[in-house]
Amino acid sequence: MKGMRLLLLGCLAVLLVAAACTTTQQVTGDVGILYTKGTGPMPTLLATKQIDGYIAWQPFVEVAPVAHIGKVITYSGELPPAGRWQNHPCCVLAARTDLMGSNPALVDAMGAATILATRYVNDHPSEGAEIVADWLAGKGNFTYGNVTVSSVEVLDRAFPTVKFVNEPSEAWMNGQVEFIYALRELKALTGSLSNTTDTQSKALLFDTGPYTRAMAMIGAGKITAPPAERDPVGVGYLLSDHDASLFVAVKKWQYFNDTYGIALKPHDMTATRPDVVDLLVNGVKVAELKLIPADAGPQLMQLAATNTIQFAYVGNPPTIAAIDKGTPVKILMALNDEGSGVVVVTDSPATDWDSFVRWAKERSAAGKPIKMAAPGKGSIQDVMLRYALEESGLSVKEVQA
Amino acid sequence: MRRPLGIILPILLLIVWEIAAQSINNQFILPRLETVVPVLLAPTVDILGTGSLVHNALVSLERVGAGFLVALAIAIPLGVGMGWSQRFDAIVDTTIQLLRPIPPLAWGPLAIAWFSVGINSMVFIIFLGAFFPILLNTIDGVKSIKKTWVEVAQTLGASERQVLSKVVLPGASPTIWTGLRVGFGIAWMCVIAAEWLPGTTSGLGYLTLYAYNFGQMHYIIAGMITIGIIGIAFDFLFRSVEDRWFCWRGLER
Amino acid sequence: MKLAIRDLSKVFVTGTGEKVPALEGINLTVEDEEFLCILGPSGCGKTTLLRIIAGLDTPTTGSIQVDGEALSGPSRRIAMIFQEYSLFPWRTVLENVVFGLEVQGMDREERLAAARKYLDLVGLSSFEKNLPYELSGGMRQRVAVARALATEPTALLMDEPFGALDAQTRNLMQTELQEIWRKTRKTILFVTHSVDEAVFLADRIVVLTERPGRVREIVPVKKCPHPRDRTCRDFVDIRRHVLDLISGGSSD
Repeated sequence: MKGMRLLLLGCLAVLLVAAACTTTQQVTGDVGILYTKGTGPMPTLLATKQIDGYIAWQPFVEVAPVAHIGKVITYSGELPPAGRWQNHPCCVLAARTDLMGSNPALVDAMGAATILATRYVNDHPSEGAEIVADWLAGKGNFTYGNVTVSSVEVLDRAFPTVKFVNEPSEAWMNGQVEFIYALRELKALTGSLSNTTDTQSKALLFDTGPYTRAMAMIGAGKITAPPAERDPVGVGYLLSDHDASLFVAVKKWQYFNDTYGIALKPHDMTATRPDVVDLLVNGVKVAELKLIPADAGPQLMQLAATNTIQFAYVGNPPTIAAIDKGTPVKILMALNDEGSGVVVVTDSPATDWDSFVRWAKERSAAGKPIKMAAPGKGSIQDVMLRYALEESGLSVKEVQA
Repeated sequence: MRRPLGIILPILLLIVWEIAAQSINNQFILPRLETVVPVLLAPTVDILGTGSLVHNALVSLERVGAGFLVALAIAIPLGVGMGWSQRFDAIVDTTIQLLRPIPPLAWGPLAIAWFSVGINSMVFIIFLGAFFPILLNTIDGVKSIKKTWVEVAQTLGASERQVLSKVVLPGASPTIWTGLRVGFGIAWMCVIAAEWLPGTTSGLGYLTLYAYNFGQMHYIIAGMITIGIIGIAFDFLFRSVEDRWFCWRGLER
Repeated sequence: MKLAIRDLSKVFVTGTGEKVPALEGINLTVEDEEFLCILGPSGCGKTTLLRIIAGLDTPTTGSIQVDGEALSGPSRRIAMIFQEYSLFPWRTVLENVVFGLEVQGMDREERLAAARKYLDLVGLSSFEKNLPYELSGGMRQRVAVARALATEPTALLMDEPFGALDAQTRNLMQTELQEIWRKTRKTILFVTHSVDEAVFLADRIVVLTERPGRVREIVPVKKCPHPRDRTCRDFVDIRRHVLDLISGGSSD
């Protein structure tokens, strides 16, 4: 009897091992997409050949060539359909409508701080890159195997691919609406934006009042001090150079304070990544801001929905999706355009998008479809990649595990 | 350390690690020992702007301490009540058994919604991790009190409160202490995972995740080793108290 | 202390509702300063009777009066000594002995002095700082006796206290107990299933029947003077008589 039991157990063990070995992830379309909840796992997955490439925001695009694990084949502005994504909106500044209603002057002031910081970044790009390197990595070094490179260098490479703009122009708003179309085709909008007209969509998404008023204050050379906000205000952001304006506003607070009378002054001056700052207008503290980083846009929107944060420096598709589901936020202005890229393994035959598509088709025909990683379902990178792939005649399916 | 023999295997593992890392030659799979060791030898140096190993270890320990103390404060009285009163146990037990299998991390999103991001939600998750081992061990300890001890106390004139404080608690304390040891170990695991939730910018768990974002595997491994060392240090502390204060337990006929 | 037990019976109800009678119609009077043994075969209810007197159980019918007052729950005037596992293993010998006084709220200096006095009575003064696990079985029971005596009860209940000890230690303890009883003059109720022990120790022996326990006979042992000699004629006769009662000769 004991022998029988051992035999049965042995068979069970063999079966389990066999099942584990043969159950690989099933890719059913021409190209498989794997969602990684942020950009963190991407370099590792690429280096261990578990994915064939990824799409990410900067500076994680540059990490691949610097670490010799991959090469950039295109930046997001050049993704097909040709011309569609040029100057595509990427990150935006969003705010909760209840705060906009209860303290509009505070929202305007934040807008002004952001605009001024963006101008600084455009005027001083290498200093901007350095500040971002400081914020993201304490200006430390990155070690990839035998290669050690300074984070400042990586950010320097990444910066030119990001366009820092704020104006919520007509063209920009139309660019946002393009995303709504793309999201609808991907069946990602099922709420208030599922079948609105363009005008209705824009009304639901945007409130450019704070931008206009902020520009007016800057033009007049004086920021109006808002009434003090009693409770701390949460400001969510992503660990990406797209949010450079926020980092610069905090790190160069003294400059902005002296030159414009508005500053985001950190409580802890020695911290590389301050998490509490005071919003000062004309030297007076009007609010305490809690800076809360997150791995990806959808996570940030979740925090906005629970009113943990009232401002978000975030990608636009997650914001659109959140508004569609009823989260009470509005998009105030742009933070940057473009600034993402597609990376593939070093030994891939692809060198640009067209050769990438050929490669994908070859692999799919051979029964070994390629796998691409994206930072989150519904993120801007996800939307753009899927749309571009489908435009190029490739079907896309999420990888089933 | 209890067993000097126990040091042999880790040393062997280190040797195997270095050989394997050299031959695999892909730092994303296994960083070489010489990239990890310098990090451990410089525990006060800042890592990626997130602070040093020492600083982050202290932050994580603070959080564990807080959650652990809250768990203690609730689980021990509750456990004594459940172990002592069958009626109370019958009322509460089903709920406890329903909640117990839920991994503390699964409470993450709710924790953030209820207790706001930051230390409060993390302390909640750590509390959940430590709570059940402490509770279950307390109940077990109380239930396994020898009836004779209680009856002796009663016949000598002890009130119910005195029985609880002078007989039940001391009698159950070795088992409760084991619960504390196990609970702390789980709380320590939970803090690392809890720091992966949004709302924190420090701690060993946060550090490892941050390093992961930039593919800095050697920092991740250094972080993991630090986590392990602290874990074993505390286990050792708990055990030495056990040996000193509760030596009577094993030797009771 | 005088104990009057009238028409006492105890019926246990099991979880399935079954009724198990343990004691039936017990009528018994215990005189002041008397050493009374309760003797009977296994399962006859002698421990149950003792527990009821200790206040750890309640009778189904009947009453117990202590010096004229009804008994209700554990009384400070009655202390009990159990067969084993009764010392608190986390307390030193002295801390064990002092327990009853501590619980009754006596002042620290006073109670330590009292505890030491009784520890000395059982001859274990030099072990005051030891933990129970360091002591032999016989020593532990002596500590238990000291602990019970420390609260100066008027009666001691003892439930086969020497049952777990080896024969030699047992004999030693019996002699010591006699000494202590002589010195302190407490009323003692002593449960045992050893005929020899009962005849050696008791003024009177209450012999119980098999379950449900009823009083078969109460045998006086006053004929044999103290210290008892196991070989004296009267001793042997009484012992034989009791053995006959126990070994199931027909009930008279």
